[in-house]
Amino acid sequence: MSIVARLPRRTLSLTEEEEAAPPTMELTGRRRMTAEERGTAATIFQEFRADRRHREFVVGCLNCGECTTGCPAARFYDFSPREMLQIAQNGDATTLWDAMQEKIWACCQCYTCNMRCRFGNDIAGIISVMRELSVSHGLESTRRTLAPFGRSLTLLMTVGTQVASDMIQPDFFRDWGPFATGSDKVWQVSAEVMRKAIPSDVLQTTRSSWEVSVQTSLELFRIYEETGVLDMLRGLDPDLTEMLIDIIEERREEFVEARERFQDQLAGQTGPVTTFSG
Amino acid sequence: MNPILVLGGGPAGLSATAELASLGAPTLLVERESYLGGNPKRWHYSLLAPDLRPAEEVMDPLLERVTGRPEVELRLGTTLTKAERTATGFSVALRSADTTVTREVSAVVLATGFDHFDSRRKFEYGYGRYPDVLDFKELEGMIHDDKVLRPSDGRPPKRIAWILCVGSRDVQVGNPWCCRMGCAVSIKQAVEIRQKHPEIDAYVYYMDIRTYGLWEDLYWKSMQEYGVKFIRGRIGQVTVAEGGSRLIATGEDTILSRPTEVPFDMIVLASGMEPGTGTKQAAELFGVPVGPEGFLTPRLSDLNPVDSGIPGVFFAGAATGPKAIPDAVTEGMGAALRAFQYARR
Ligand code: SF4
Ligand code: SF4
Ligand code: SF4
Repeated sequence: MSIVARLPRRTLSLTEEEEAAPPTMELTGRRRMTAEERGTAATIFQEFRADRRHREFVVGCLNCGECTTGCPAARFYDFSPREMLQIAQNGDATTLWDAMQEKIWACCQCYTCNMRCRFGNDIAGIISVMRELSVSHGLESTRRTLAPFGRSLTLLMTVGTQVASDMIQPDFFRDWGPFATGSDKVWQVSAEVMRKAIPSDVLQTTRSSWEVSVQTSLELFRIYEETGVLDMLRGLDPDLTEMLIDIIEERREEFVEARERFQDQLAGQTGPVTTFSG
Repeated sequence: MNPILVLGGGPAGLSATAELASLGAPTLLVERESYLGGNPKRWHYSLLAPDLRPAEEVMDPLLERVTGRPEVELRLGTTLTKAERTATGFSVALRSADTTVTREVSAVVLATGFDHFDSRRKFEYGYGRYPDVLDFKELEGMIHDDKVLRPSDGRPPKRIAWILCVGSRDVQVGNPWCCRMGCAVSIKQAVEIRQKHPEIDAYVYYMDIRTYGLWEDLYWKSMQEYGVKFIRGRIGQVTVAEGGSRLIATGEDTILSRPTEVPFDMIVLASGMEPGTGTKQAAELFGVPVGPEGFLTPRLSDLNPVDSGIPGVFFAGAATGPKAIPDAVTEGMGAALRAFQYARR
């Protein structure tokens, strides 16, 4: 038998004890925080450590840095997935709080770190858990960070998409550098070529990609409602949330009207009937 | 007494055979390759850690002890294809080229050893694609012949990097264990190169330095006396510099928490140890237990590391896990004694 096999297995679920009292740590108070912030930080820390995904995603770390090597965000910002994983694993409430102010938003969720990690951590996943918490607790810094993205968010939550291939042009994506402008000497990639690289089933223009069927829109929104995403967002940006609800209400009405029209038509017909439900 | 079968002619198998012969036991030494000496011979190991003695000085006396002895029947280029238990031991089928013979043996020592990890599986290092990315076993041969030159253009390198733990301590390739040797051998190589060519810069990229026990001395001296540089962090990818032939190693310096990108003339991968193909075959033939890592598992690895738990089957060397030559030799002695006792019972 191998040595490892004799060690107790790590379980993915919390013990009863832990379930009753999630792990806590004293705040170290290394930075100035208001009493309220301290309170929120402590709650976030508890929720974070008690989240089942924490046990599943954070399995241990060799501090090898291989995750950071491939991380595109680490090349441009003072950010490192290794650091995030360390904070997730060993950090206290204050360190977690600090990381959640800005750093977590540097990640573009490309999952390269996961591919590289030789210990089997889900680093991108644990970063998204941190993001969830920062949104659901309506952190001021998160509000600020996400403020410029209201338009993208609205599109994502109402039609499920926000980029289309004809958006790939230098004016929109300055940060894509020479690659997108076609002036790159090495790759010789033009916006035209990049557009062609997009699979034809998503080859939409800005207009058509934002035109989705009413049903798709409603189903999407249903998911956001059922999974609590909408509630999370409400804490962060109540106005935006109300606006989204209004948009969806309109679409719902559209849907109901369409259904009635359809049923009226149906009433005048004979033969097999397709049901139509929402 | 029917002969005792020793399977594998590396350090462990040679040591077992030598001891059995000196006990006067008829011994049948079977080796798959056409030569004896195992991995050290196959890859022309240069100096051996920890004493930095030339591999020949260590291996030749072992070889001398088994060759030309009346007790030892040597079968090279031979593999075992069948094993059945009999009243007195085992009946085994041995195949060489196109002939198969059946022999009765009284006990078996499995010294089937390890294989070096195939570094191509860590594709991000470009081994097999970039000629100047070497496996450290290949560098052994170069150091041995004092021909440390870039395979791409035959020029001497100015700066070499070693990447440790390639194919070890890595669940991505399914090998979570430590190879035990990689650190010491890489540092030894860096020292050897710096000794002869102080103009070559040597960098070692590491997660942990595991020069266990007294071998730590090698690690210290490599810095104190030979100026080998150690950078904590892994190289995550190797690319070729634009318009040139230098390699670029990208990684994170985890002490400074800073990304690094350094050009090198040569990059050396410390490939890990995996259970040898012979080890897997032998495990199947004799029905011996195999651990989750694929190495043979002694019944009591603390009290009797050479006993398989199956009567008449004994282990020696890296077949049970990564091992240095001194350990393999010691286990060969232990297995010889246990097999002899069993055969005479
Ligand atoms: S998922 Fe985020 S942290 Fe991971 S490599 Fe991509 S950008 Fe970096
Ligand atoms: S790759 Fe995995 S083990 Fe290595 S530093 Fe990143 S999280 Fe830790
Ligand atoms: S001995 Fe060194 S190189 Fe080999 S796996 Fe262990 S730490 Fe890595």
